[in-house]
Amino acid sequence: MRKHVFYATAALAASAALVLSGCSAGGSGDGKAPIVVGSVNTKSGPATFPEASLAAAAVFADQNAKGGINGHKIDYKALDDKGDPATASANAREIVGSDEAVAMVGSASLIECEINAKYYEQQKVLSIPGVGVDTGCFDSPNISPANVGPFNDMTLTLYWGSEVAKLDNICVLLEIAGSTRPAYQKAIDTWTKITGKKPLYIDDTVPYGASDYTPYIVKAKDAGCKALAINPVEPDAIAQVKAANAQGWKDVNWLYLTSVYSDNFAKAVSDAGAGIYVPAEFYPFTDASSDINKDWRDLMTKNNIPLTSFSQGGYLAAKYFIQVAEGIKGDITRESVTKALHDMQPITNPMVGTPYTFGTAKVHDGNTAGWPIKLVTGKNAWELNGDDWITIPKK
Amino acid sequence: MRRVSGTPAARIALPFIVGAIGLAAGYLLSVSLSGYFVFLAVSAVVAAIAILGLGIVTGSAGMIALCQLTFAAVGAWIVSLLNVLNAPGGFIVWLILGGLAAGVVGVLVGLPALRLRGVNLAVVTLGFAAAADVTLVQIQFPGSTDGVSVLRPDAFSDDRSYFFFSVLVLVICGIGVYFLQSGRWGSSWKSVAFSERGTASVGASVPGSKLTAFAVSATLGGVSGGLIAGQVGLPFASSFTPIQSLALYVLAIMSGAYLIDMAIFGGIVWIAVPELLKRWGIPQDWGFVIFGVLGVQALTSGSNLGQSIRNAWWKRQAEKRPVELAAPLAEAAGRDAVTAAPPATAPAPADPSAAPVLVVTDLGVAFGQVKALNGVSLAVPPNTIMGLIGPNGAGKSTFVDAVTGFLPQHTGSVSLDGRDLRGLSATARARLGVRRTFQQDRVPPTLTVEAYVRFVARRRLTIAEIDDALAFFGCPTARTRLQNVDVGTRRLVEVAANVLARPRILILDEPAAGLSHEEHLELGARLLQAPARFGMSIVLIEHDLDLVRSVCSTITVLDFGEVLASGPQAEVLADPAVMKAYMGETEML
Amino acid sequence: MLQGALAGLAAGGLYAVLAVCLTLMSRLVRVVNFSQAATGMFGGFVAVWLVSHAGWPIWLGSLVGVLIGGALSALIGLIIATWLPEADTTTRSAVTVGPLLLLISLSFILFGNKPQPFSPILSGPAFSIGGVVVSQVTVATVVLAIVVALACRLVLTRTSIGTKLRALSERPTTAELIGIPARPLSVAVWAVTGIISALVIIIVAPSQSNDATSLSMLIVPASAAALLGAFRRLDLAVIGGLVLGLLSGLVAQIDEVSFIRNFLPFLFIIGFLLWTQRKEVWDAAR
Repeated sequence: MRKHVFYATAALAASAALVLSGCSAGGSGDGKAPIVVGSVNTKSGPATFPEASLAAAAVFADQNAKGGINGHKIDYKALDDKGDPATASANAREIVGSDEAVAMVGSASLIECEINAKYYEQQKVLSIPGVGVDTGCFDSPNISPANVGPFNDMTLTLYWGSEVAKLDNICVLLEIAGSTRPAYQKAIDTWTKITGKKPLYIDDTVPYGASDYTPYIVKAKDAGCKALAINPVEPDAIAQVKAANAQGWKDVNWLYLTSVYSDNFAKAVSDAGAGIYVPAEFYPFTDASSDINKDWRDLMTKNNIPLTSFSQGGYLAAKYFIQVAEGIKGDITRESVTKALHDMQPITNPMVGTPYTFGTAKVHDGNTAGWPIKLVTGKNAWELNGDDWITIPKK
Repeated sequence: MRRVSGTPAARIALPFIVGAIGLAAGYLLSVSLSGYFVFLAVSAVVAAIAILGLGIVTGSAGMIALCQLTFAAVGAWIVSLLNVLNAPGGFIVWLILGGLAAGVVGVLVGLPALRLRGVNLAVVTLGFAAAADVTLVQIQFPGSTDGVSVLRPDAFSDDRSYFFFSVLVLVICGIGVYFLQSGRWGSSWKSVAFSERGTASVGASVPGSKLTAFAVSATLGGVSGGLIAGQVGLPFASSFTPIQSLALYVLAIMSGAYLIDMAIFGGIVWIAVPELLKRWGIPQDWGFVIFGVLGVQALTSGSNLGQSIRNAWWKRQAEKRPVELAAPLAEAAGRDAVTAAPPATAPAPADPSAAPVLVVTDLGVAFGQVKALNGVSLAVPPNTIMGLIGPNGAGKSTFVDAVTGFLPQHTGSVSLDGRDLRGLSATARARLGVRRTFQQDRVPPTLTVEAYVRFVARRRLTIAEIDDALAFFGCPTARTRLQNVDVGTRRLVEVAANVLARPRILILDEPAAGLSHEEHLELGARLLQAPARFGMSIVLIEHDLDLVRSVCSTITVLDFGEVLASGPQAEVLADPAVMKAYMGETEML
Repeated sequence: MLQGALAGLAAGGLYAVLAVCLTLMSRLVRVVNFSQAATGMFGGFVAVWLVSHAGWPIWLGSLVGVLIGGALSALIGLIIATWLPEADTTTRSAVTVGPLLLLISLSFILFGNKPQPFSPILSGPAFSIGGVVVSQVTVATVVLAIVVALACRLVLTRTSIGTKLRALSERPTTAELIGIPARPLSVAVWAVTGIISALVIIIVAPSQSNDATSLSMLIVPASAAALLGAFRRLDLAVIGGLVLGLLSGLVAQIDEVSFIRNFLPFLFIIGFLLWTQRKEVWDAAR
């Protein structure tokens, strides 16, 4: 009994402490006031992207060691939204409202763009996500992600499949969450417009997180698909490949998205059918020999951050922000940062195939280049599959 | 001495007063908290409403429901749909409709589960939650494709006033739940959680009680989901996953959510734990680990936070004021007071010309090869007390079960006032006027005496009538909690309550077990007066022959499932076969 | 159509094995163990960690993983047997919801949330029927389901341990009074079912989605299958699992019902149950 009373009092005291701490005004001194920057990330639960904000934090810490931006240190807050919309909204209000951040940099969340886009517009704050995932990231005047995004990536992988690998009978399987169906349709239609080709069929009923994809694989095999273009998260992709293995389907080509580009995936998949092909959003990090990723790689290794495309995204977002902010004459406030991002010149970086820009466009889905990579049976490691970026042609 | 808080006016006013205080507190918080915390506080209120619903189905009605957030998703879905359609009425109307829709879904989910006992229901709800989750992810919420955000009510559109609005909704739900819990539905939920047989035997429908519990709980879930839709503008399936429903369930168990204040506490814990983890830099995944551990602890210790606090409080109260027996109010003549009529001293003889109340013809019950009852026939005259005696295992309780409808497979016929009861369920028979008490304790300890009595009687009773009957049978006062009452006295309460129901026939299955011999006889003296006062017949199953002799005008003797003798008291007790079977050859009366 | 159905058989075998475990638990220790798949999942993840991080050989890592899965299950059983020996099924089952939550989150913390690189014990196709390949894993799980169900039936009806277990499940207090060791036997049942479910998950996980949540939520189709036998009949549990897998595979092929695809198997089982239990029956105790 006493234990229960203790728990209750402790909980009430803690809540009171929380409330009171929230009531206190956040004061920032004048003079060399820190630049507050934040991000909303999905860091816990079944699907997480922690590396983007970790990478951005490392970049900012590195910058602070060199004296900050124009003498101001950067104060970076990376919050966890747990994949829950209410938490994502609350996080945005904390960073933008309470902490008065000048910009959002390096966000990587399943949902936050869509949830918070209007709030960002209201609060006149801009966001450079490290990894844009949901449709809102590519659909808002206030958000311009550093990555290509799953929709352009889908067009890229179809384009590579039909034009470079000369595959036909491509079937599209889609795992649909939230409002992504029209966006994927648009991506497929773009491919059709450019190439004149259509998928053999589109199955948009593939479930997220199912334990067994055999029925869908069997259906595809029976329909005569030579290649499958799918948009799964990594665990589902592994399950799909295993299902095909179990069926003995040896000659299927897998056209996947950057979401499966990880060492973990390569280790988990030994039998890749006729090969797994992905257009990597950034220069492939598995190519240790190249110098393109050297700065990124060194920084990540120094800080023990996993080497994935997500950390590349966060790294790039932070670098873009610093470059733009350093060009601001005068105080670094939300208004001046917003103006600078609106007026910026495109930034070229060899890690990306398309120059990055914010500007005043209504939507930001201009990152349209990917580097082809492949995973073949028995190798358990990703390899380069081309020597240049492939870009979605403008037609 | 009746306390002020016991008066009807006070009892109705109290929740409104508490509600007003809550509203005032909510208003103060809405203006004083920082923007971030206001938003968080909306989440706490939403969780509190959902937990309030869980408290009904899980805490009161004792069923496991693992899909509360799926009902919330239904509410959110309806609100989003009405928003996209620009339906008239605005957010408030949509919220109500969302809650009602969720209530309907709750009934649909509860229906198949009625036939499935206890934990099977949990499986059904979990399956429903998992299937709905996958479907929701695929079909998404209306409006989210085009980014159409749910419009909050005009008067409450910014975060602070929306928080106040959600507190208003919480207060309304809380008051509603309070009145439901203290009324007939609440008593039926608690009763069905404790004993389904007990519930049916007082004429309350067991499926009905379970369905209303489900419906109310789902409605509250739907309301909380509608509020989420307003809070985030674009609801997502990730707010309503099965895993979160499980965590909410665990939280509800742990805090004791059937108590309204503990539901609010649960809502606060729901957001406080992740917040604290965040402040201390601990990964958020530990949140559910903590919930899991606390849940196991709460269930294995058999109590919950709210109940522990209350028990401690009540124990102190009880120590100050022990259980008091009801004292009859002295009123003016003209009322049906105890002392008005002279007490009967001998059992009223049967009136041979009147039609019998209960006629049992050739009743037979077989369990496999064993014939528990064989060819039992008897007739109970009106306004008399019949004793049903016999050695242990003679089939007396089986007889009661068959007559009251708990053994539908019996052969033979039972008729009440000439009407054949074949095919009628136990609940239906109880409503027609066949009432019984049980040998085992089937009085739910979670009720107060008054709530229980009103529930059992199934008709409008004045406080005076209740107090009168309680005093008549020597029961504790109406405000006493049954958990503070010993088992023997609970039987008396059961008898008093069933008497107040004014049945045609009341079958008492060893009502005095657990009472001393003197109390036996006192009860007998009371029972003697019951037929005349209340116009009913009583069948009394008893072992105490003194009691039987003093009370029963007719007696039926059962042995090995067959009637040995049945008729006026003197005849039966003088019957040598009865003496031999029941008392042994050498025993003499 | 048929091919789609056969394709679902692998999942069906898995559901069947888990359903048998659930039915056993329900009959013998009066618990519907919601964490049945979660403990197996945790044991499997430990095995994977041992093989991939500590470099142990596959057989040893798998063995230890299976034992740990059994031990976790036994621990939960010990807690329930010690503190809730006389409680009703509902309360005892409610306790297992806590470990389900706990184990999923704990596995995220300990093993991360990327899918685990299981090294398969069995892999690849076994044979072909009508154009659909039946994989080795399918054969293994279906055979395992039938074998376990038969073995349990034999043990329960033919051995003295089985008799003691049945006595324990029907009348725990009486059984204890005549000297049957209630707690050790109960914990033994928990341990055995924990080992079986860990084993089947380690066999199946390499060929399927193998993240913590989807593995732990296998409890949903497994309990639907056990529901077919009303948590009492082992044969119906096996049939229920296989039928559920077949149905899911079948229904995945039909686009028209994609909307309610997820609900169909469930509705089927509910419908069947409602029909078989249409007469109201009063539980003895209540």
